[in-house]
Amino acid sequence: MAIKRLTLLAAGCAVCACFASAGTLYLPAYPAAVVVFDEQKAQVVDRIPLETGTPMSIRLSTDHKKIYVTTIDHNGFEVIDVATRKVINHFVLNTATKQYRFFAGTPDPQGKLFYTVSKEITKFPEHYDVGKWKYTVVDLEQQKIVKTVDIPKEEEAQNQGDWGSGAIDVSPDGKYLYQWGEKITILQASDFKVLDHIDLARPEAPGMENAHFGSDLDLINEPGEHTAMFVWADPVVHNHVFGLARFDLNTKHIDFNPIGPMPAGMAGIEVTPDRKWAYTVVQNGLHGNKRCEFWAFDLSSDRLTQKAEVPCRTRFTLGISADGKKLYIYGAGFDIEVYDAATLKYEKTWDLTTDVTYAGIVVVP
Amino acid sequence: MKHMRPLNKKAARIDAYVTSRTDDVVALQDAAKQQRPHVPMGCSIMFTPGWEVDAAGGTAGLCQPVERDIYDCFVSCYWPAQVPDHLNNAADWTAKCASATKDWRNLDLVFP
Repeated sequence: MAIKRLTLLAAGCAVCACFASAGTLYLPAYPAAVVVFDEQKAQVVDRIPLETGTPMSIRLSTDHKKIYVTTIDHNGFEVIDVATRKVINHFVLNTATKQYRFFAGTPDPQGKLFYTVSKEITKFPEHYDVGKWKYTVVDLEQQKIVKTVDIPKEEEAQNQGDWGSGAIDVSPDGKYLYQWGEKITILQASDFKVLDHIDLARPEAPGMENAHFGSDLDLINEPGEHTAMFVWADPVVHNHVFGLARFDLNTKHIDFNPIGPMPAGMAGIEVTPDRKWAYTVVQNGLHGNKRCEFWAFDLSSDRLTQKAEVPCRTRFTLGISADGKKLYIYGAGFDIEVYDAATLKYEKTWDLTTDVTYAGIVVVP
Repeated sequence: MKHMRPLNKKAARIDAYVTSRTDDVVALQDAAKQQRPHVPMGCSIMFTPGWEVDAAGGTAGLCQPVERDIYDCFVSCYWPAQVPDHLNNAADWTAKCASATKDWRNLDLVFP
């Protein structure tokens, strides 16, 4: 009997531990909703309807209290309160004669402004006038664009509106913007004046979709810090090397630790909450010859410690659970494949019952 | 210059050399990249992998099953030749079908 009680006690503790570490996933879904998925229950627990259309990007605020969603149907913004799971602000930019396109963007630290790159399309009686991409400031309280600035010629390449190009972050004091593309561009937030460049690029990842409008590591990044996988090439041999970079958004100091030669494709990184381990999916080959592998990194030494082959979906996104113990492969469909982060082995598939968009995922502990 | 023909062996060698250095001109093809199968226009107005074939001319590069991909091709009018026009004429095409793989029969019919 004593053994039975101990077993029950242990089981109870295990359940408590599981509850303590499980988080909530927010997944943008078709046709116009954000699906709320409980990791511990392994089921959809809520569905937040969106007013303005299909979600195309999602981002957690730095204080983890709000979720910013952009929608594409009429180019809208929605702000979700994490505590109540309600939309507390929503509006669209489109009017009867004007449409907009925007992809990357970020709210300012106070959550009042939204920095993005947009294109204006004006409808005339017999034609449409398609404008150039411009740096844009949207006032979330006034619910309109309050400023646009022309993009310098040398910055146009990473501001062409392709999905995920030119993702933007803002410094904690709101003074600087950082654009992550073919290089890192540092801009003055007040007027989008280009202040500096750093020759580090985001990894290429054909077929992998790690390009949501937030940084890859919304959850583990301290305010004022951007941690991500970058690629660097030397100026003589042009040998591409990937590594982990920690970027201080306050001081503009970057700490880049090269790890190894760049593979054909890499799905960004996901980092455990204790910041000791990082994971990515590496892709080599194309189509029928494509092979994918999980790579695990020890962040204390920035070394690759473990590899394991994983079936390649044609398109997918890599995610990580709130406790860092599970890895997720999702996107282009209605499910999440769950892998154990310690062994890199497949465990199960969660059915979301709804197709999710390629906007990414927000994990809230 | 097609009316000119080499008259001796040296001229023939020069002609062959020049021909070998001339790139094949293919519509919408990026010359800097490796030549890929020339999928005929008509299956898509975009020259990227489509519903029928991938960029290698096969099907291994397509989502399996293809219904997994249908919504992401619809949204933003990414593949307007194969799926309805999301932004202008058929914004509600997906409204009755939560998962295209499971209940694609509920997708609305759209007539151009």
